[in-house]
Amino acid sequence: MTAKRLRIAAVIVISLIFILAWMFPILWSFLNSLKTDKDVLAYPPKVLFAPTLEAYRDVLFGSASILPNLVSSFIISIGTTVITMLLAVPAAYALARLRFPGKRFAGFYVLATQMLPPVGIIIPYFLVLRGIGWIDTYQGIILIYLSFSLPFAIWLLVSYFEDIPFEMEEAAYLDGASRLRTLWRIIIPQVRGGISVTVVFVFLNAWNEFLFAVVLSGNTVRPVTVAMYNFISVEQTLWTKLAAVSVLAMLPVILLGIFAQKHIVKGLTVGAVKGGGRR
Amino acid sequence: MNGRGHVRFEQIVKMHGNFKALKGVDFDIRPAEFFALLGPSGSGKSTTLRILAGLDAPTSGRVTIDGKDVTSADARDRDVAMVFQSYALYPHMTVFENIAFPLEMAKMAKADIAPAVQDAARKVKIEHLLERKPGQLSGGQQQRCALARAIVRRASLFLLDEPLSNLDAKLRLETRAELKKLQRSLGVTAVYVTHDQEEAMTLADRMAVFMAGEIEQIGTPAEVFARPNSLDVAAFIGSPPMNLIPARLAGGNVIIAGQPLATTRADLSDRNVTVGIRPSAFRIGPTGLPAKVDLVEDLGDSAVLDLDCAGTRVRARINHDNIPPENSSVFVTARPQDIHLFDPDTRKRI
Repeated sequence: MTAKRLRIAAVIVISLIFILAWMFPILWSFLNSLKTDKDVLAYPPKVLFAPTLEAYRDVLFGSASILPNLVSSFIISIGTTVITMLLAVPAAYALARLRFPGKRFAGFYVLATQMLPPVGIIIPYFLVLRGIGWIDTYQGIILIYLSFSLPFAIWLLVSYFEDIPFEMEEAAYLDGASRLRTLWRIIIPQVRGGISVTVVFVFLNAWNEFLFAVVLSGNTVRPVTVAMYNFISVEQTLWTKLAAVSVLAMLPVILLGIFAQKHIVKGLTVGAVKGGGRR
Repeated sequence: MNGRGHVRFEQIVKMHGNFKALKGVDFDIRPAEFFALLGPSGSGKSTTLRILAGLDAPTSGRVTIDGKDVTSADARDRDVAMVFQSYALYPHMTVFENIAFPLEMAKMAKADIAPAVQDAARKVKIEHLLERKPGQLSGGQQQRCALARAIVRRASLFLLDEPLSNLDAKLRLETRAELKKLQRSLGVTAVYVTHDQEEAMTLADRMAVFMAGEIEQIGTPAEVFARPNSLDVAAFIGSPPMNLIPARLAGGNVIIAGQPLATTRADLSDRNVTVGIRPSAFRIGPTGLPAKVDLVEDLGDSAVLDLDCAGTRVRARINHDNIPPENSSVFVTARPQDIHLFDPDTRKRI
C-alpha cells in the first residue's frame, strides 16, 4: 500500500517538474508582457508589480504595430491549411484504396520528404522562388509550406482512410452511389476526426514556422514569428514588447490546442496503433 | 412473383494473378428462387457472388440478369441489393438514414422515402430503432438493419454473403427462418453464400456446391443429399459427415472388414471403390459388420457412435431407444439403396 502510494507520489512530482519546465517560458513571457521596461530589468526579478497593458498597446497600435504581421500569419496559415487539405484528402484516399503501379514507392516517397533536414533545402528553395519572382509573396511562402505540409497531411490521413472497411464502400456502390458520392457521403464523414487533427497540425506548423519565413519573406509579407525578431536589435532588446508579441502569437495556438485537444489525443493514438495498409 | 431476377452465368473464369479462382462456372438462377452457393472457404463461392454483384469483373465469360448482358456493367447499374457479412452499415448515419440511402441515391422523391423506409423497417421489425445509430444496436438488430437497407429498394436481385455468420447460434436459427419467409413474401430472387451446409439445406430451393473453383453439383438440397455427385460433395454435405471407406466391390457386394454388404449395383464388374454410408443410414441388427463401440456421444434424441469395424473407423447415428453401451460389440448394417459408390481415382459417383 505504501509502496503504491510512493509510486503515485513520484509520478505526480515528476509530472509537476515537467509541467513547470514547460510552463516557465510561457509564464515568463506573460508576466514580462505586463511589466514596465524598468520592472523587467529589475534584479532580483519582481514577482509582485503593478501590471500594465502598455506593451500590448504599443505592439498592437503603436508605430511598429504587429497587426499586419498577425494578418500575414493568418493568411499564410489558413491558405496553407486549406490548399493542403483540398489536395491531401483525395491523395490519402487514393493511397489507402486504389491499386496502381508504384503505390508502394509513392507511399515511401511521401514519408521520405519528411526526413530531409529543412536547412539543407532552404537555399535551393530561395533560388527557385527568386527565379519565378515569388520572394516576399504569399503564394511563394504558401507554396514552400505546402511542400512539407502536404506529405505530412497525406501520411497522417492515410491511416484514417485505411481504417474504413472496404465493404462499406462496396455497400455504397451497390446502393447506387458513384465513387465521388461515396467519398463525400460515406468515407469523409467517418474520417472527420482525422481531418480535424490534420487541420490543427498543418495550421500550427505553418503558424509557428520561422526558418523558411525569415529567408523567404520580406517587407510586404512578414509573418509574426519573423516580426517578433525586430524587437531584438544590436543595441537593446525591447523585452516587454517582445513578451507581448509572444503572448499574442501563442494565443491562437493555445486556443486551438484546447479546442482540439480531444481530437488530437484520439488522433495520435489511432495513427500510432495502425500498421501499414491492408491493400 | 415479379418474374424478375433471372441470372445466368456462362463459362465464368476468374484469375487472381496465376491462380484460377473460378475455372469456368455455369449456372442458371430462376426468378424468385432462393439459390445457395455452398462450399468451403476458398472454393470460389464468394468470388462468384462478387462477380454477380459487379464488385469484381470476370476474366472471361458472360453474366446476364433478366436477359441483359451485365458482364461489364457497374455495380450501381445492376439493380442488385446485397447484405454483407459485416453488414457494412454506415456508422455515422441513423438506422433511418442507412435504409434511406439507396432510395436517396435512386433520386426518389423526399416525400416517398419516409414511408418506404418505415415499410422496410416494419418487415424486419426494427421500426422502433430508426433514430439510433448502428453502434447502439445489438448484432441481431444490425443484421436486420442491413436487411432492411437491401429490401427497401425492391431490387431484382438480393445477394446475401454469409449474413448469419456473426449471430449467436439461437439467433441464427430464428433469423434463418425469418429470412426464408421474407424472401417468399417479397417474391424476390435471393442468392445466398454460405459455408454452412445446414443453412444451405434449410434455406435454399436449389444450391450449387463449389469445390476448388468449380461447381461440383447443382440441385435441390434433397437431391444433393440423396445423390452426391462426388466424394467431395459427399464429405461436405451432412452432419456428422458421410463415412467414406475404401473397399472392394465384388459380385454387387462391397467387402468391408471382411464382411459383404449388398449394394444396388450388381451390374458393375469387380473393382476398387470408395463406399459412402451416411451415419444415419447405419442400423444395429442381429447380423452385419461386427463393430466395437469406442465412444457414445449422446445428443438427447439420438446418439453418435464411434465404431471400430476390424480396424476401419466409422460413425453411426442411432435412435435414442437402442443405444449400445461403450466397449460393447454390435453388428451394423445398411440398406443397399443407402450405400453410395465412388471411383477412388476420379472421385466421381459410380
